[in-house]
Amino acid sequence: MTPPRVFIVDDHAMVRAGVRAELGTDVTVVGEAPDVPAAVEGIRATRPDVVLLDVHLPGGGGLAVLETLRSELPDVRWLALSVSDAAEDVIAVIRAGARGYVTKTISGPDLVAAVHRVADGDVVFSPRLAGFVLDAFSAAGAASPEPAEEATDPGLDLLSTREREVMQLLARGYTYREIGSRLFISVKTVESHASNVLRKLQLSNRNELTRWAATNRLL
Amino acid sequence: MSVPTAGRQDHQGTPPSDPGSSSGVITGVGQEVDGATIIPVTMTSAGAPPRPPLARPRDGRMLAGVAAGTAAHLRQDPLIVRVAFVVLATALIGIVAYMLLWLTMPVATEETDQQADPGRPIPEPRGLRQWIGLGVLGIAAAVFFGQLSQWFSSDVVLPLALVAGGLIVIWRQLDTDRTLSVPGVRWALAGGAALAAGGVVLLLATTGQLAAARNGFVATLVILIGVVLATAPVWRRLLDSRAEERTARIRSEERAAVAAHLHDSVLQTLALIQRHSDEPQAVGRLARSQERELRAWLYDPAVVREGGTWAGLVAGMVAEVESDHELVVDPVVVGDAPVDEALAALGAATREALVNAAKHSGTTAADLYTEVTAERVSVFVRDRGAGFDPAAVPPDRRGLRDSVTGRLTRLGGTAEVRTSPGEGTEVELSLPRSAA
Repeated sequence: MTPPRVFIVDDHAMVRAGVRAELGTDVTVVGEAPDVPAAVEGIRATRPDVVLLDVHLPGGGGLAVLETLRSELPDVRWLALSVSDAAEDVIAVIRAGARGYVTKTISGPDLVAAVHRVADGDVVFSPRLAGFVLDAFSAAGAASPEPAEEATDPGLDLLSTREREVMQLLARGYTYREIGSRLFISVKTVESHASNVLRKLQLSNRNELTRWAATNRLL
Repeated sequence: MSVPTAGRQDHQGTPPSDPGSSSGVITGVGQEVDGATIIPVTMTSAGAPPRPPLARPRDGRMLAGVAAGTAAHLRQDPLIVRVAFVVLATALIGIVAYMLLWLTMPVATEETDQQADPGRPIPEPRGLRQWIGLGVLGIAAAVFFGQLSQWFSSDVVLPLALVAGGLIVIWRQLDTDRTLSVPGVRWALAGGAALAAGGVVLLLATTGQLAAARNGFVATLVILIGVVLATAPVWRRLLDSRAEERTARIRSEERAAVAAHLHDSVLQTLALIQRHSDEPQAVGRLARSQERELRAWLYDPAVVREGGTWAGLVAGMVAEVESDHELVVDPVVVGDAPVDEALAALGAATREALVNAAKHSGTTAADLYTEVTAERVSVFVRDRGAGFDPAAVPPDRRGLRDSVTGRLTRLGGTAEVRTSPGEGTEVELSLPRSAA
């Protein structure tokens, strides 16, 4: 298996160098960019498998890069890598199409594993992202007594019991493998649950998430 | 280092009270300087409990609050002081004294109104406006009494009374803190001006000088309009620069506040890190605690400011555990609730679980996940360390059992420990909300 080709987008040269060093030889870094225009140009030119995308960038943030290239380059996979804990930034990048979110404090081997997982088409949930997701969907679920807005697509706006369990275990720091053995399901099933949750996050009724953001003082 | 330090001094040098500076912003350009230089009148007689400072109260004024303020200072009934002023006024002294006191007495601050400390009353910003007003009052009073003594006829007294009444209305309005944007103030000002103008016209008419005054008035008006038109750009620029000055000041104050905070937190930590550069553990801990503090300040000020919620409690607890032990905790909190006794106990149990992980797991990282739902508050503390055999714990090592399990069962909650040697440990704490 050829190592995944990775493009690093971050406005701090030190961070780019650090990430490059941590990725090591299991991953081929094909380019890096410090801002939005350079990232758009570089990603168009190199067509990487995975883009490591900083959420906060001069010139519109990682969101701008994603929105520019998402429909143009559907084969590129995106992994948000940020120091920001602000939930609205993270959720916005996920909703724009990123396949996962990890914080910059992640260890080198974990980062490599996350890149491989995203390159294989899976999703990457850090405990913090799982927490954000649970927060978002529990707020949406708690708001169900209002039928007018709930009627749009109830199936999309709520997590199944199993999906919620998977998210809770992820938030508790379990790996996919540990979750599988805990719930007596295969790792593949855990992965598909995680993908479903990500899809629900991306497709679910915007109102619910807006309200969640409002109740969390994020707007 | 020098820039933030300078900024910090700037910050501390600005007037400490918002009311003083904001009223300076609203009412005029030069007043801040005046306001800062006027020494508040504070008289404290030795022995007896301190008198309230000589200041004009905001409420309970008849005219400008001079009598009320003097009465409060002398601990007399305001009525007595007012009668005294009126009696003295018949001999002119009362009016002069009143005007002098009006000139020198600052407006009482909120605190001094409530008999609080007289240590630092904020002097009233005193503008050109008031000086002019007082000057006119003096001239008017002098003219009034001069005229009165010469021709004591009702023809003159009535217009003069009108003028005086109008001026009093105008000054009363301008002397309060209310800005011109309040509609009531504008109408009162217009009414006062109309009254005074009517009085002037009536006075000129009765003394037969109306025709002569009209020429002079027209000439004056033309000159005034000319002057205003000629200097219009200057006024415009004055207004503009005032607005600019204001935004610049707000910006620099914000900057100073940020600089002060960064100086107290980040720069101090960076200095500490440089000193401990050969101790990776200490450096990591310093960097981490500083990161947490800065992050909370930037992104989550509500938790820091308000406190009293479960999320805030958890954040604070994690900070303490991380600074006391070699443990890095990444807390994930879903939902929030106000802290009551039961939640405080759950927090203590959580802390105990974290400390246990720090002491016994052999690793330096732990995951903390806590979820607040309508039914219960759950806490999961997980480490990937050595783990242990629960059956093999000696009875004298009761830390986990007593302080974690015992505490929770007393509150109707549950505590569960999942562990085996080599597999790490997970402590699950759960507390029903109804018990709260």
